[in-house]
Amino acid sequence: MLNPFLVVIAWYQEKINFNLYFQWLGKMHPMVLHFPIVLGCMIGGYLFFTNHIKKHITILQIGSIVNAASATIVAILGVFLSKQDTYDTQIIFWHQWGGISIAYLSWLLMYLIESNASFQNHYRFRMSFAIGYLIVIFFFTHKGAQLTHGVRVLSWPENKVTETASIQNIKIDSNATIYERAIGPILQQKCVSCHGPEKIKGNLLLNTPENILKGGKDGNILIAQNGKAALLFERIHLPITDEKHMPPEGKTPLTKEELMILSAWIQAGGNLQLKMNAIAKNDSLFMLANQYQPQIGNPMNNSKRGNGMERSFDDLPNLNEYNSNYCTANYSYQGGRDIEVSFYQSKFYTHDNLIKLKNIKDQITSLSMQNMPLKDEDILFIATLSHLKKLNLNYTSLKINQLGPLQNLKELKTISICGLPYDEIALQKFLQNASFEKVQLWSSNLTREQSNRFIQQFPKIQFTIGDNLENELIKITNPIIQQDSSIIATHLDVAVKHFLKGTNIRYTTDGSDPDSIRSPLFTKPLRFNSNTTLKVKAFKPGWISSDVVQKTFYKSEIHPDTIYFITLPDKKYPGSGAKTLIDYELGEQNFSNGKWIAYRDTTMIYVIGFKQNKKLNEAHFNAFIDNAAYIFPILSIKVEGSNDGKQFSKINEVKFPSLEKGDMTRENKSFSCPITTNNAFKFYRFTLLNLKKLPEWHPGKRTYAWIFVDELFLN
Amino acid sequence: MNEFLEHGLNQNRRKFLSKLSMGLGGLALGSLLVPGMFDGANEEEVFTKVLPHFAPKAKRIIYLFQNGAPSQLDLFDYKPMLQQMHGQDLPASIRNGQRLTGMTANQTKFPLAGTRFNFSQHGSHGAWFSETIPHIASIADDLCIVKTMYTEAINHDPALTFFQTGAQVGNRPSMGSWISYGLGSENKNLPAFCVLLSKGKGNGQGVYSKLWNNGFLDSIHQGVQFSSGEEPVKYLSDPDFMERADKRAILDELAALNEASYKNIGDPEIVAKIQQYELSYRMQMEVPEITSLQNEPESIVKMYGPECLVPGTYAANCLLARKLSENGVRFVQLYHQGWDSHGNLPNELMGQCKDVDRASAALVKDLKQRGLLDETLVIWGGEFGRTNYCQGALTKDNYGRDHHPRCFTIWMAGGGVKPGVHGETDDFGYNINSLPVHVHDFHATVMHLMGVNHEEFTYKHLGRRYRLTDVAGNVINDLIS
Repeated sequence: MLNPFLVVIAWYQEKINFNLYFQWLGKMHPMVLHFPIVLGCMIGGYLFFTNHIKKHITILQIGSIVNAASATIVAILGVFLSKQDTYDTQIIFWHQWGGISIAYLSWLLMYLIESNASFQNHYRFRMSFAIGYLIVIFFFTHKGAQLTHGVRVLSWPENKVTETASIQNIKIDSNATIYERAIGPILQQKCVSCHGPEKIKGNLLLNTPENILKGGKDGNILIAQNGKAALLFERIHLPITDEKHMPPEGKTPLTKEELMILSAWIQAGGNLQLKMNAIAKNDSLFMLANQYQPQIGNPMNNSKRGNGMERSFDDLPNLNEYNSNYCTANYSYQGGRDIEVSFYQSKFYTHDNLIKLKNIKDQITSLSMQNMPLKDEDILFIATLSHLKKLNLNYTSLKINQLGPLQNLKELKTISICGLPYDEIALQKFLQNASFEKVQLWSSNLTREQSNRFIQQFPKIQFTIGDNLENELIKITNPIIQQDSSIIATHLDVAVKHFLKGTNIRYTTDGSDPDSIRSPLFTKPLRFNSNTTLKVKAFKPGWISSDVVQKTFYKSEIHPDTIYFITLPDKKYPGSGAKTLIDYELGEQNFSNGKWIAYRDTTMIYVIGFKQNKKLNEAHFNAFIDNAAYIFPILSIKVEGSNDGKQFSKINEVKFPSLEKGDMTRENKSFSCPITTNNAFKFYRFTLLNLKKLPEWHPGKRTYAWIFVDELFLN
Repeated sequence: MNEFLEHGLNQNRRKFLSKLSMGLGGLALGSLLVPGMFDGANEEEVFTKVLPHFAPKAKRIIYLFQNGAPSQLDLFDYKPMLQQMHGQDLPASIRNGQRLTGMTANQTKFPLAGTRFNFSQHGSHGAWFSETIPHIASIADDLCIVKTMYTEAINHDPALTFFQTGAQVGNRPSMGSWISYGLGSENKNLPAFCVLLSKGKGNGQGVYSKLWNNGFLDSIHQGVQFSSGEEPVKYLSDPDFMERADKRAILDELAALNEASYKNIGDPEIVAKIQQYELSYRMQMEVPEITSLQNEPESIVKMYGPECLVPGTYAANCLLARKLSENGVRFVQLYHQGWDSHGNLPNELMGQCKDVDRASAALVKDLKQRGLLDETLVIWGGEFGRTNYCQGALTKDNYGRDHHPRCFTIWMAGGGVKPGVHGETDDFGYNINSLPVHVHDFHATVMHLMGVNHEEFTYKHLGRRYRLTDVAGNVINDLIS
């Protein structure tokens, strides 16, 4: 019953006016159509592959009825739909009548399965029918797919690069038309996928100027008619929610820039032949179109911008060839003409490097040649940079009288010549005829009086003179004693250093403070053989002399025959066992280098022994302090003596001050314990106490402090 | 053994699971659909060509970070009201429920503490400075003083991380890394982003390498930390017997090996490594010249103070910063620790100011006299401010201050900023009266000065585009000349 109806509406569709209800039904077409396609394919496939259809004949029968009915419904819906939008007429013709024939074939198939004996019995017959049926389905549904997904829906994917390349290939010479420069690329990117040879929606083709002029089913799209704006203008300006907005919702929208270009162009008459050089340079259309750079790929994905087309400006060169490790040339910003050039590494500077810039010399607005060994020939070249606005010649090996040629640079406003030897006459001559506005001429031999003369003489120039503080009295920093160890084994060389050149370091070893007259001048490392207190102080003319810095060095003469731990050091810092303490190797400032022995949870106790009784005067422990690493000074040292190694009697105990709040200490320090007895012992036992409770101000408050010891010296 | 296997397969449990969570199929499909989806190198190339978006005012930045948060009330933001009300409780209406740190939240009283220092006005804009920073006061006419900075974090680490990376959690690229990524290095023989550390005697807070981390950007954009010893970059000099050509040959061979393993494994870190070797080869020539501060004339030494010759001091770092910046390093980041004065503030502050006052001012003056200040942006400031009330015991001339995020002062100089005093805080120095500047706004403005539109400068990572300013930030035009 539906079938005749289908044919009738298909035949007379041009004359029938479908109401909204049918239009809505029509939209069901793409949804429902997959049902009979799948079912039809399944049945066809089953018939093709199976010999004995009687086994599942009931299922097959039901399936074929449903298939036929749904195929018809789909076809009817398809007819409704075809009325609503404008598709490629040829494709839709084939798709429509193909769909109708599928519907009829499906009914035929149902009949054959249901009641035709030869179909039921002959495999060959069934097979050939199935093949034919499947081919028909594939062919005509493919036509439908082309309508929605484009002509090439099932063709082999081509390399997309060619397509983007064609977009990149924009004519940018000034003779180009606006269509070539901007309109074409925009339409190509945003419109042609639906209004192109592959898919002609609304019977409108936007791929060539001729087709654009032809217009679509509603006529011309570029000219305002009947008091209404041009169709293209109207469509791109509708709110995005409007069904008629172009490009439709879901497609890549026009960027603001593209929208502005199209609008300005249509308002200017929509002339496709209009040449870029026929538009005034300050016309907004020209400026918009000239700056236009098509986006390639995802408009949000900047990573594609610039590939192969980093410059879309006809006369702006690529700067790669001017850039090297020793010279950088960059546009001051992207899109501008101005180029800024800087040179680095004077060792590699040659005049040729500079000359290389001659092709872009009219675009260079800023040049930095700081520290370069420049000569007259360089200045002559720089004087040809006609648009140079800013020049840095600080610390170049030039003299001011060599700068003359630069006076001709009328656009040069800012020039820095710091560090060039000051020459008043040459400078006056140089500044007289130049059009500079800002000059930086600080140099270490320029005095305030000299600079004041200039400031008065050239009131139009803004000078930056800088400060020369030679006369200001400042205290010089302290000299540095360059010897971490404070223990003298046989002898010890001590150097003293100061970072400021030309500083005199004077020293004493007798306990008095050094002065600038009597105390000896430090010239070469001092060698100490016995207990010494070194005091040093720095002097320099024009400066306030430094504080006194002092350090005491202790002599170690006695080497014990044996040494062993009573309490074991922390597992992480065992050194090389107890002998680490008497190996004359200092641990320096790195407490984890294996030369340090550390205690934290236990108190450090150990014994040294001699083959014969030995009288000792003093023991020095070299320790490390770093409060940031929880390493604090030794709290106290107790020494006991014994002759059998078992019964010890106390000799002395010395306490040391801990750190104060705010002390930031990281240093090697020596802790001395005098051995206040006249007796000689075979064994001496030392107990070194660490701080068991870090103070409240320390981040590790109330936990144990570490002690680190690397060496013991005896005398 | 397992590590070797993992390495060979370039696979471990975490990588495997994270791939599975997307679905292996999805991964393969993704790379089919998006050719080049996995090569990050492209993105790299591009920004140097797209940036700067517009003509920049500043080409380089030197950021003098005062780590630990200096007290704005004792340096710049003069509040006579606090001196009048010294010892009285902070009115609750002013505090208005402000979140406090664990250090003062349990205090029963919040006695206001007026500054112990004398203030005076300097420069043509009448900016106030305390007596502790006479040298900075002397360059008042070059300074753009922002009195109304505010932040969201109340503790050091998140606040510092926020200032440096635009987020309080530490996985984003540092400001310097963004600049390095976007604008590249001017001088190809030096890293684009250098980091210099120094310590004052005041209460210190840590600085961590995450602050100059490249985050998700390529590792070559990580800040290069200079050592604070006498050799700022270690192991730069070749052994005695080695010729420069030998070194070149070694590096070429090494690069060939690395490239081969990159082809096998595909780890982008290998490429970064190759680039780092190349950079360090070129640095061998450039760095010794720059870091030898001894050759500076004596007048420069006096300007920065004689400590500038002692390696590792703030003054030395300022001098080094000038030399690096002058030689084309885009972003020099200094940190000076020791400003976290919860107690004993007046004494600690004087010590800190002694370290930084002379050298900070000297840096600005030195750049100016060389004609470099107009293209170099100098920024001076901490991660937040300090409270107007006292932490701990208040005496006539000793007090401490807790963290205060609601308003604090930073200053900038050069690089196209407009000299003057921006914004105003209330009489208690607790809240902002007018023209607030959020950390995001600060970032947006700094980016703007560098010729970068902060909203368009993004990097796609884990399926989302990131900016230094995240999804916020406005350029404060009042700060720009």
